[in-house]
Amino acid sequence: MNFLKQAVFTAALCLILQYFLPWWTLVIGAFAGGYWFGNKGFISFLAGFVGVGLLWFLTALYIDVQTQSILTEKIARLFPTKTPALLFLLTSLVGGLPAGFAALTGSILKSSR
Amino acid sequence: MKTLRVIGPLLITIGLLYFLNRGWTSPPIPPLGQFLDPFHGFWQNAETGKPENRDLSIPGLSAAVTVIYDSARIPHLFAQNDEDLYFAQGYITAIDRLWQMEFQTHAAAGRVSEIIGPAALDYDRRQRRLGMVFGAQNGLASMEKDPISKSIVDAYTAGINAYIQKLSYEDFPLEFKLLGYAPEPWSNLKSALLLKSMAQTLNMSDKDLEMTNALKLFGKETLDILYPDQEKVGDPIVDQPGRWNFKTVLPLDSVPMATPKELIAYQPLEKSSHDVGSNNWAASGKKTASGSPILCSDPHLNLSLPSIWYAIHLNSPTVNTMGVSLPGSPAVIIGFNDSIAWGMTNAQRDLVDWYQIEFKDKTMNEYLTDGTWKPSRKVVEKFEVKGNKVFYDTVTYTHHGPVTFDANFHGQSERAHFAFRWIAHDPSQEVITFYKMNRAKNHAGYMDALDYYSSPAQNFVFASVQGDIAMRIQGKYPARRKNEGRFVLDGTRTSTEWKAFIPNEQNVMDKNPARGFVSSANQYPVDATYPYYVTGSSFEAYRNRRINQVLTGSENITPPDMMRLQNDNFSVKAAESLPVFLPHLDVVKMNDTEKYAYNALITWDLNNRVDSEAAAYYEAWWRALFPMIWDEMDSAHIAMQDPTTFTTIQLIKEKPDFSFFDMVATPGKETATDLLRKSFSAGVAAIEAWKVKKGMQPQWGAYKDAVINHLLRQEALSTYVTHGGNRESVNAHSRTHGPSWRMVVSLEKSGVKAWGVYPGGQSGNPGSPYYHNMIEPWSMARYYTLHFTSSPQALSGFQISSTQLSPSK
Repeated sequence: MNFLKQAVFTAALCLILQYFLPWWTLVIGAFAGGYWFGNKGFISFLAGFVGVGLLWFLTALYIDVQTQSILTEKIARLFPTKTPALLFLLTSLVGGLPAGFAALTGSILKSSR
Repeated sequence: MKTLRVIGPLLITIGLLYFLNRGWTSPPIPPLGQFLDPFHGFWQNAETGKPENRDLSIPGLSAAVTVIYDSARIPHLFAQNDEDLYFAQGYITAIDRLWQMEFQTHAAAGRVSEIIGPAALDYDRRQRRLGMVFGAQNGLASMEKDPISKSIVDAYTAGINAYIQKLSYEDFPLEFKLLGYAPEPWSNLKSALLLKSMAQTLNMSDKDLEMTNALKLFGKETLDILYPDQEKVGDPIVDQPGRWNFKTVLPLDSVPMATPKELIAYQPLEKSSHDVGSNNWAASGKKTASGSPILCSDPHLNLSLPSIWYAIHLNSPTVNTMGVSLPGSPAVIIGFNDSIAWGMTNAQRDLVDWYQIEFKDKTMNEYLTDGTWKPSRKVVEKFEVKGNKVFYDTVTYTHHGPVTFDANFHGQSERAHFAFRWIAHDPSQEVITFYKMNRAKNHAGYMDALDYYSSPAQNFVFASVQGDIAMRIQGKYPARRKNEGRFVLDGTRTSTEWKAFIPNEQNVMDKNPARGFVSSANQYPVDATYPYYVTGSSFEAYRNRRINQVLTGSENITPPDMMRLQNDNFSVKAAESLPVFLPHLDVVKMNDTEKYAYNALITWDLNNRVDSEAAAYYEAWWRALFPMIWDEMDSAHIAMQDPTTFTTIQLIKEKPDFSFFDMVATPGKETATDLLRKSFSAGVAAIEAWKVKKGMQPQWGAYKDAVINHLLRQEALSTYVTHGGNRESVNAHSRTHGPSWRMVVSLEKSGVKAWGVYPGGQSGNPGSPYYHNMIEPWSMARYYTLHFTSSPQALSGFQISSTQLSPSK
């Protein structure tokens, strides 16, 4: 349950941050989520990872549907990914991974206090 | 102690941020975090194309400008004064084409390695050593000296910069994100660079060096057979024998040939493509159904995405004009207004000379001229290569121009130094030409505008509502003496230099000729009685005759007739060569596939139609034949030009035993017959291999495999097209080159009507539905009606959206 709360909290905070600020501010949101909820290491990592990964995935998917994949396919072919599915996966990972580690950092910092 | 456990994940987080926030040059990877971020990255460049009305408040405008977009996304700009008009043109063009504008001017200035990395360094050095920036600076100085052109260019630049200033990362055009860099401010110099880069596309070659090598290797007699100054093919652009009775500006004796002692060993520049060319013509009211002149223009260039042209309509109290512009340069370049229409084709004239320089020593500090040593000028060029150290290159300038090739760059001999004299290095005022042409009311206005035009030399076609048609081959031409400019010139003697320029009134021109039309398609400009020596790297031999033949035979011409002619696929080349080629073949010895091809060819209607198999067989045959004949040029391993298609076919016809038909690599002695048979089999075999690979019949459009490349040559951003035509057809579409803008204008007294289309789209954004939406209509020979009005209200029926630009308070 706390996993879900942390993931939703992280996604919401990152949505607000990213709306105004550059991409890397997502680690601030994920770190705050990790620290606030103080979940166990792996749970915290996963919550940060899933929270931001899904946020990025769904935002990208929304744009993709709105624009009838006009750019997704072209960019997918530019990358070694080749297919849109893999481009979505890559997008989610690039957002999710730093978020996961930031969340882990946050939860460890809390538990070590 | 426990706190230390934080360090691991913290370092990983920071490390990930670092790696995802930077890009790599090789392999090229954009900064992935920024690029893939759906809130700011490439995802934000995807557009729905839904019409959107905008109200923008912009610092720098003096009054409001209304911009109406029509269904082709062509913007119609209505401004209250000229400064605002050109400011808005800069702003609106930048919305659609900013990256292209910046990239093309970087390419012109030799700055691509700043973006791409070391792979582009050789290209960049070449650009600097050709004096592209030197020429642009000279162009800029004269541009800024004239108050009118200065105010236009200043306003245009300010408009582009007003747009750039508003951008943050998420608004950047896609390519900036992909390559991981940011747009820099626009400058007047960039507009000058853009015009020089057009001159480079249309009028630059190292033909003189190649011809000199050919002269050394083959001798004068063979040279004149291979590369005649004027091919024996009729129909010059202006054919008025005996009319050129003016006094030439200097006595036209001949320039002594300065054949160097040794062959010129250097790695040549990229060969200028024979596929670059154009058509234009105008029929007088006598020949049209409406009784009013019709003007047509279709420039053929390397087709690219974003497209080379940007269609636009400009309206202010002093001007109402529509047509296509070059993103990065103000005004309309090819188009029409309420009174006249104009268009251009390339004049092909040789305005490039190479001088062999003798330096005193290796320092290249002094060079010989008329027996005295003259100091050279050194320019240190700086290259900020992405991902590498800064690179410096010293370019030596003589009074001729920059020394392009020397021991440090592409020259393979210590002694061979070649300085480059190019008309586009000179000050020039093309901006005024287009400013005036956009406002011209009649033939006198057109003539006045052209008096300011110097480079690249063009055949300007003209027609007016008043009923005049005209052609003028305008440029700044050195008054050439016989053989001047054909070979490398002796740079130690001033007597070989350009002495004078042909006065404008002595340029080749024509007005209302008796035949009822004017036309040009890059052919030889003028009849033999024109006194000045004319030379060029090649003149067109086929399209021009087809155009003239159709126009001569036409009466009651309508705009759809003219559209048909622009898309005409008939091949005069095939019509003239097949009756020569086919009798050489031996039908008895053919295999089944060869017989099939032979039958296709003898029944071919000679049209390069998109679904024609015979057209594919013909082309495959030609592609095998041509290099077999001119294998001498390759096996010599020295820079040399191939003879033209026309000369090649004439030689097969008239001299089947000519020594060049013997293949260098074979022991036997071949004749034209042997080569025609060999290449026919090779061509058919190539088609058979293609059929197996593609699993389909060799229809010409598919076999041609034409592509419109993105400027970065990324396949994912490029588009394949299936289209008829070929380089010798009026519809001159080859694999990568073709009609880059087809325009038909009917100059009716009740109002000018016009149609146009180009293979691309108004938006330069690969994420926009307007990126290449015009390609399909273009390939189907369909046109967009150009909604030419004099008020925003009159456009209401065609309006899709509007943008209001208001001065910010």
